[in-house]
Amino acid sequence: MQDIILELKENIIKALNLEDMSPADIDENAPLFGDGLGLDSIDALELIVLMEKNYGIKLRSPNEGKEIFESVVSMAEYIKANRTK
Amino acid sequence: MRIFVTGIGIISAIGNNATETTQSFIRAKSGICPIRYLSTSHKNLLVGEVKQTNEEMKRFLGISQSTPSIRTALMGMIAVEEAIRSAMLDKKTMSDSMSVLINGTTVGGMDKVEDFYTDFIENDTKNEYIHMQHCGTCSEMIADYHRCFKKVNTISTACSSAANAILSGAEMLRQAEADIVVAGGSECITRFHLNGFNSLMIIDESPCRPFDAMRQGLNLGEGAAFVILETEEHFNKRAVQSKPLAEFKGGANVCEAYHQTASSPNGNGAFKAMKVALKNANLQPSDIDYINAHGTGTQNNDLSEGIAIQRLWGNEIPYVSSTKSFTGHTTSAAGGVEAVISILALQNSIVPQNINFENPMPELNFLPVVEKTQNVKLTNVISNSFGFGGNDTSLIFSKV
Amino acid sequence: MKANIYINAIKQISAQNALCEEWFEKPIYYSENFVKSLDEDYRQYFSPNEVRRLGKMLKRALLTARKALESNENKSLDAIITGTGLGCLENTELFLDRMVRQGEQMLNPTQFMNSTHNTISSLIAIDTGCKGYNSTHTHNGVSFEHALFDAVMLLNKDNNTTAMVCGHDEMTPTYFNFLQKAGYLGQQGETFASETAVAMLLSRQQTDYSFCKIEAIDILYGQPSDIVNIYQPPTEIDAIMTGINGFDKNDNIYTDVCGKLFADTPILQYKNIFGENYTASALGIYVAAECIKLGVVPLHLLYNKKRPKSIRKILSYNHFGGKNHAFVLLSK
Repeated sequence: MQDIILELKENIIKALNLEDMSPADIDENAPLFGDGLGLDSIDALELIVLMEKNYGIKLRSPNEGKEIFESVVSMAEYIKANRTK
Repeated sequence: MRIFVTGIGIISAIGNNATETTQSFIRAKSGICPIRYLSTSHKNLLVGEVKQTNEEMKRFLGISQSTPSIRTALMGMIAVEEAIRSAMLDKKTMSDSMSVLINGTTVGGMDKVEDFYTDFIENDTKNEYIHMQHCGTCSEMIADYHRCFKKVNTISTACSSAANAILSGAEMLRQAEADIVVAGGSECITRFHLNGFNSLMIIDESPCRPFDAMRQGLNLGEGAAFVILETEEHFNKRAVQSKPLAEFKGGANVCEAYHQTASSPNGNGAFKAMKVALKNANLQPSDIDYINAHGTGTQNNDLSEGIAIQRLWGNEIPYVSSTKSFTGHTTSAAGGVEAVISILALQNSIVPQNINFENPMPELNFLPVVEKTQNVKLTNVISNSFGFGGNDTSLIFSKV
Repeated sequence: MKANIYINAIKQISAQNALCEEWFEKPIYYSENFVKSLDEDYRQYFSPNEVRRLGKMLKRALLTARKALESNENKSLDAIITGTGLGCLENTELFLDRMVRQGEQMLNPTQFMNSTHNTISSLIAIDTGCKGYNSTHTHNGVSFEHALFDAVMLLNKDNNTTAMVCGHDEMTPTYFNFLQKAGYLGQQGETFASETAVAMLLSRQQTDYSFCKIEAIDILYGQPSDIVNIYQPPTEIDAIMTGINGFDKNDNIYTDVCGKLFADTPILQYKNIFGENYTASALGIYVAAECIKLGVVPLHLLYNKKRPKSIRKILSYNHFGGKNHAFVLLSK
């Protein structure tokens, strides 16, 4: 699990161009949207692309991603259970 | 100074000219269908395509099949031709006057660029298409076909492009920078923006449902539509044996400055665009009989625009409909397509209905027009076009 | 009604040193055929989160806009109008390339969002909070003049407006190759291909920092032979700022039209130091404005060795493809 979390953080940094951040700066339990990392609706769409590209998981809408994208941990759990690559 | 609309031309999914377009509204016949002309892997999506191949359009225009062309320019040529004819203008009169073409487009010749991108990289067989990526080249192709324009400009403000072209053209007349203005927009569907809107996840896989609580997004459309604008004085001097088609009363371009793609939930941009347009037209909200809404069918737009309409009109809301349920969202051309539709509504005393509507939005106090509405007295119509980046424009047309 | 309209601020990022006028005394010359702009260190100006989605061109657009506003006496802004030839080309190319290679799958919305031409004007609007008129003109090599003309129409209408007019274009190696094949950039004898970022502020109020007055703008469409007949040239101009770039096919149109309309007027150039691109004329107008402000033309801008006696009026003449002809008359 820790491996996925670290890899996922690196992927998020790359996909969202958070160039001033390192994986250690991201609290895997903190919310990704709103108060935590402060991501927005466009980032949600980018995360959907990330899920498909890196893990072969297709989400149909940002709504479907709401719970999955709550935190890095929730994303990692979903990836672990559903990844196709 | 009064600005008249003296000619109109339109081609879209619901018709190749103004007469066919009006008929489609009277018969409530939508042009949204499965993809037939665009080559794409998203075959499941519904679109509002112009029902002609490029070859058919070339034949109609008398252009040889071997002449390199782009779909946006071909549709533009057809709509401009119809507009010039309907204004009872001829190329000679236009050439002798300061005639101006202002075209709103964003994709330009992207249809050919995406087809030949690999050729551009690997060989020299398609080099003549490289320049056509430019929006400006597309406008020049339209101008060169008609050979009667001394000024040509291209405006690209995404989905409000054509509306801004009309606004800009009217201002040129007011400031005596032009005698005859042909303004509107043209845009074909490309894989580029089909995939773009798809990546933003705002495409409905069913026919779009503007102002419906269950709406899932837009259907892309394509088309071209232009109006001929002249001052009252210029029109009267031409001694044409007919009335102008409508008066362009005024409009407004504002920027919401809220988000790169989204509209604000309280509709500030839409509210301001309509409010300033009314002020510029010297009209009160109560003077408006019909709102041709931007109404894309996305969650975001219809809520924002709906709230803005509610804020401005309170409990006295005029007829509202989104004709994108017929044409699909013709993006940069939408401002022209919907300006022409608004004028057709005025001329024919009809309010195009908002098809596919079933479920009222809980946030709104009004329903769009859902039934055939004919023989209604329409005097003033407002047409909204809102683009990415909060580029919000409203235009007001009135019966003469 | 034609009002007096002044250019009160101009900021640029280009192949010459950014945000300054060092090119006037010490221009940088290039022997390459494609030169990227000399960027600022944008981390100095923006927080990383603020610009994480933005490519170089959009950062340039925001920075030139901010700097122009800072340098103006009046900090308010009522309208933003941009001229751009190919818009955000880098993002357009990325989206297009991936779409073609990935078979229309897994595409990034950010690139699409940033690929539309009007994203420049709208980002400046978000950054400056300017909720007024906002437009984008994209008519090949005369896009900037159309934007300028739009601003002048707006100011003719309204006395209290401050309008920002921007010219922005970027170039990528891929598109440099495409356009070279299409006969536009990198031609025989032609100056280097470059990029433009210019922000100007216009108003009807003259300030201590005003560069010049805009007397007239005419943008005409037609063959050079038509233009010579339609265009009514102004009199008593001290010099013509042209887009001469070293490529005969381009330059001959300038010398022909200027020869017919203004036989003995000194001809100036700027593309020898700023390069060629769709909105390079924004830099040409900036250079002309600076010369009027200082009352002198540096030697490296002289094209036909004729030095203007005084510099009170410069006509900027820019043509694109011999079909679009833009004349902008600037005066002290």
